[in-house]
Amino acid sequence: MADPKLGVYICSDCGIGEALDTEKLENIAKNQYRIEVVKTVPFLCSQEGAQVIRDDINNEGVNKIVIAACSPRVNSDTFDFDPAQYITERVNVREHIVWSQLPAAVEEEPAQEAGTEAPAEASGDEAAAAAPAEAAPETAEEPAEAAKPAVNENTQEMAEDHLRMGIVRAQKSEPPEPVIEAVERTVLVIGGGAAGLTSALESAKAGYKAILAEKEAVLGGWAGKMYKILPDKPPFEDVKTPDIDEKIAAVQSHENITVLMEAHIDSIAGTPGQYDATISHNGSTETHRVGSVVMAIGWKPYDAGKLEHLGYGKFKNVVTNVEVEEMAAANNGTISKPSDGQQAKRVAFLQCAGQRDPEHLPYCSSVCCMTSLKQALYVTESDPDASAFIVYKDMRTPGLYENFYKAAQNNPGVMLTKGEIVSITEDATGNIILEIDNTILGEKVRIEADMLVLATGMVTNMLPEGAEKVTDLTPEYVGQWKETETQDGIIKEVIADPVVLNLAYRQGPELPYLKYGFPDSHFVCFPYETRRTGIYAAGAVRAPMTAMQSANDGVGAALKAIQCVELTSRGQSVHPRSGDESFPEINFTNCTQCRRCTVECPFGVLDEDEKGTPKTNTSRCRRCGTCMGACPQRIISFKNYSVDMIASQMKAIKVPEEDSKPRIVALICENDAYPALDIAGLNKIQTNPFYRFITMRCLGGTNLVWIADALSAGIEGFLLIGCRYDDDYQCHFVKGSKAASERLGKVQETLSRLMLEAERVTQVQLAMNEWDQLPKIMNDFAEQLKGFGPNPFKGF
Amino acid sequence: MADETVDKTEETAGAEEETAAEAIAEETAVTAAEAPAEGAGTEVPVVAETAFEGEEPAISEAAVAAPAKEVVAITPDVSFVRDIIKGGGVDLKKCYQCATCSVVCNVTPNESPFPRKEMMWAQWGLKDKLVGDPDVWLCHQCSDCVAQCPRGAKPGRVMQTIAKMSIPSLSKPGFLAKGIGNPSSLILMVAIPVLILLAVIARFGHLTNPERGEVVNGVPVHPGEIVYGSFLGHWPIVIVFSTFFVLSIIIFALGVRNYWGMMKKHVQEEGNDVSGSGMSQVGPVIGEIASHKKFGKCDETKDRKISHLFIFYAFGLLFAATIISTILTDFPLLWGGEGSLSPYPTISLVKLFGYTGAIAGAVGIGLIIINRIKHQEKIGIGSYFDWLLISVVLVIMITGIGSVAFRKFDVGVVAYPIYFVHLSSVLFLFIFAPFSKMSHMVYRATAMVFAKTVGRDTPM
Repeated sequence: MADPKLGVYICSDCGIGEALDTEKLENIAKNQYRIEVVKTVPFLCSQEGAQVIRDDINNEGVNKIVIAACSPRVNSDTFDFDPAQYITERVNVREHIVWSQLPAAVEEEPAQEAGTEAPAEASGDEAAAAAPAEAAPETAEEPAEAAKPAVNENTQEMAEDHLRMGIVRAQKSEPPEPVIEAVERTVLVIGGGAAGLTSALESAKAGYKAILAEKEAVLGGWAGKMYKILPDKPPFEDVKTPDIDEKIAAVQSHENITVLMEAHIDSIAGTPGQYDATISHNGSTETHRVGSVVMAIGWKPYDAGKLEHLGYGKFKNVVTNVEVEEMAAANNGTISKPSDGQQAKRVAFLQCAGQRDPEHLPYCSSVCCMTSLKQALYVTESDPDASAFIVYKDMRTPGLYENFYKAAQNNPGVMLTKGEIVSITEDATGNIILEIDNTILGEKVRIEADMLVLATGMVTNMLPEGAEKVTDLTPEYVGQWKETETQDGIIKEVIADPVVLNLAYRQGPELPYLKYGFPDSHFVCFPYETRRTGIYAAGAVRAPMTAMQSANDGVGAALKAIQCVELTSRGQSVHPRSGDESFPEINFTNCTQCRRCTVECPFGVLDEDEKGTPKTNTSRCRRCGTCMGACPQRIISFKNYSVDMIASQMKAIKVPEEDSKPRIVALICENDAYPALDIAGLNKIQTNPFYRFITMRCLGGTNLVWIADALSAGIEGFLLIGCRYDDDYQCHFVKGSKAASERLGKVQETLSRLMLEAERVTQVQLAMNEWDQLPKIMNDFAEQLKGFGPNPFKGF
Repeated sequence: MADETVDKTEETAGAEEETAAEAIAEETAVTAAEAPAEGAGTEVPVVAETAFEGEEPAISEAAVAAPAKEVVAITPDVSFVRDIIKGGGVDLKKCYQCATCSVVCNVTPNESPFPRKEMMWAQWGLKDKLVGDPDVWLCHQCSDCVAQCPRGAKPGRVMQTIAKMSIPSLSKPGFLAKGIGNPSSLILMVAIPVLILLAVIARFGHLTNPERGEVVNGVPVHPGEIVYGSFLGHWPIVIVFSTFFVLSIIIFALGVRNYWGMMKKHVQEEGNDVSGSGMSQVGPVIGEIASHKKFGKCDETKDRKISHLFIFYAFGLLFAATIISTILTDFPLLWGGEGSLSPYPTISLVKLFGYTGAIAGAVGIGLIIINRIKHQEKIGIGSYFDWLLISVVLVIMITGIGSVAFRKFDVGVVAYPIYFVHLSSVLFLFIFAPFSKMSHMVYRATAMVFAKTVGRDTPM
């Protein structure tokens, strides 16, 4: 980058000009930071406004642009200066300050202010952009002095501090230089079932090459073993004959797909774009260079051997839904009693067998209700006088499968009741007697059936055969506990067992799971993502689902896999900081090989050598900065995000001596807390004026050194506002806010050394939709700090 | 757990064998002694009649005998489900037991309300539960549930179908009920009264060339006018119609006994007892019927109250007219007269009742038809079972009025055939009253008495 030259641009519209003394703001930039190019521009986001900045870039050589205006979440297309050449720092004075603080002149004429301002701005950014256009001439005509006495002092000071912090942030930022590496445009698909076949086919159709590795000797997976499959097209009413063969043929005949049968993944080493997958099949072992991986290894039925209390293994005529499917497939739809081979005329189905049961699978497999309805149709189709009794906890047929339920329900031979099993017994002839309570019939009933089908659930193949209970797994990986002695004392950790992927990663050979063995990803926001960049999960391996849903998953995962390789080829990050070219750089000269970064990284980015020196793998990185926060040596930093940068921002805050003006730093995560504050501003919800917001990529980047720095500089308290963590986490970086909370646990020591209350540093979990709670959260914390009395370091 | 259950079942079965026998004996005795008046004197073993015709009761011994609310063995029956669907409850299977029907129903008792439980039983084909269920007949066919059902399962239709299907096990011989419920045997059913009448007229009247004028007590009256008495005399009519009327009453009486026994057995299975014969509740029920209180509670078809009241009182008036005229004309000894009073003057009680009844009946049936057409979009136009009765009543009313009119206008060519149709349709109604929808007047009343007796009344 050429010599850094800052330009500061203050917008005076959207109420900013009325609420703030922009001249004073200009003076801070000019006098305190010696910046030459400082301008207040009305309607900065207009073409003319943005042109002012462009002209300065071209004529004055401005390359670090500080814009004090609206939230960076709006008008990003207007202020889109090339990030490779320019630093653009957006100081959010509109939503975070002007719109959520006392308006100007509130004491003199509050009613009028509220009446004139609110309607124009409350309707959002479009309105906000339009309204000032009319207001602009008036503002210009009015003498500046008239507005000045009306400015609220606290609001003004808040804006001034934020401008200072923005300037410092821009000063400390450099445009990133992306790491460009050659990539292999091939997707390795593991698993040849409905999801895997689709993934391979879709990758190939998109112009990529695909390698499909299947452990068995036939393709098709479960979808190929069914007698009939669930409907997959509107109106979703009738079962259909399996058609997976068509997809198999398409995969086998595609020139860009290599199919490896009876394959085993020996290892996957490297990084996205440059994975080396060693696969053995047909007795030979080859290494294939691939760009990304789709893991579609599917599911296995829950071990019915554990369901003896439901009669399985005890009574001959108790079978599982998988066994019935096999029976139907082998006998053209006829279901016969295992005891004597006679056709079964009364078949009972017990839903949620070993499911939604804390002793077995605590979750719903979401498919079994449809499966039982389908199998009930086998029973009635082969014999119109036969009947199927389905006993359920809840009939769950998600989405359009409701139509399938309705259609099956309409069959006179399919009888459904809610109920709880009291007992399952066998009579002398081998009939199964079910005693059911809490039925809709309103009484305890006994049903005699020729056989009982247990609707057992689905277990992810992420778990090895014979894995322990899904509710009692070792955390994150299947493996063994091991105690290791480190410089931090004895650390107990799980040494993960290899199951499928055999990754050559420092954090272990498999994907981490969150619950019940399913790969950890946010099931709503980014379903195919896993905690290993470049490896995407599709189908029932990541959540129980039908073949149709698995196929849809296959498409989505293929898209993600391709996207990852393409972004990697440009040195850019994948989701959620898509397109980010910055990456963590480590100053190895000061590294103490403490391994905190390699352990804490939520994505297993960093490998390490024998001594524990971290090895960066840029294309695996999601750029959250958790490593930066973890490093006690503070040697990990990004070109535009660093420990020093944020520490300097805090130092830029002007701490007044009066106790009535406390200063509180809030670290806010850019994915939840930041937009929550924006929404609070849009809704004109007043927040506490003593806070100073510092934007974090993720709270995981919180370095403890800041807390000591800030408190010793007279800051009263430190509030971390981050995403929810643990089981129902909302953190875009999975474990960032959790890592921050764990780190905060250690801050007590620092605080007591400083003779300060531990509660001066507090973390709150806030989802974006909880924006309305912000004023209370902020005020409560401020009140608590007031109770502690002023920070004794203030004024030093 | 499993072993425990087996033990319990065996124990219950063993211990209860006696009780079951006792219960049966006791029940028979009680029913015989306390059955409503119509049935007195006829000894029918009630318990044997539980199931639908020709079927053995499917409830297992243990369950039958269990006094407390223990485990009930249920035997789902697909063919029964199919029968209900075929019989008119076409949308039965659509029900997903949300209970909207029971919530919107204004005539159901609050405790274990209908029709949700009946829907469930019907879906599972539990005929033993349904056949002795008073609620099937307590339903007044308001169709509130039909209009409100989110799944379009039409619970009211199912209730009616079940009621219809229970008739063969109540009114004997059952084949007549089956025949009357089946459109394909309509001609056969119509042929029965027609042929009977034809035979009677051929033998005792003037089928092809009816005489004009009449001779009463040796005195010629209405010379040359149309006189239906000369087409078919009073005595043959009285004999034929009285025979079938009495037969119907007997069938009804047996049916009521039968039904009462079944309902009682159900209540006892639930572990409750039925105290009293129900006679004390007959009065209040008659009051309720006379005022049509329950009809007034319907939301969707409020106008049914008026139309049904018209029909109800029309029948009352016509029945009264018939009885009075029979007594005055054919049994003068009963009132100490010397001979027939017929023909009656235009201003006479008999004629007044007759004319008013006929007009009220015509108005009532007209309103019923209009209402059905008006409501057809929301609740459907009704079943064959409904329309058969509506048609018969309509024909009776039209031909009744027509007979009078054409006699007055002296159009013999039309008058006699119309009169014949009138007689046939009335006879049809008489013969098939216990088997057609007409039976609701007796079985619904019985169910209402029973409900009051066991304290299962609808809060009014």
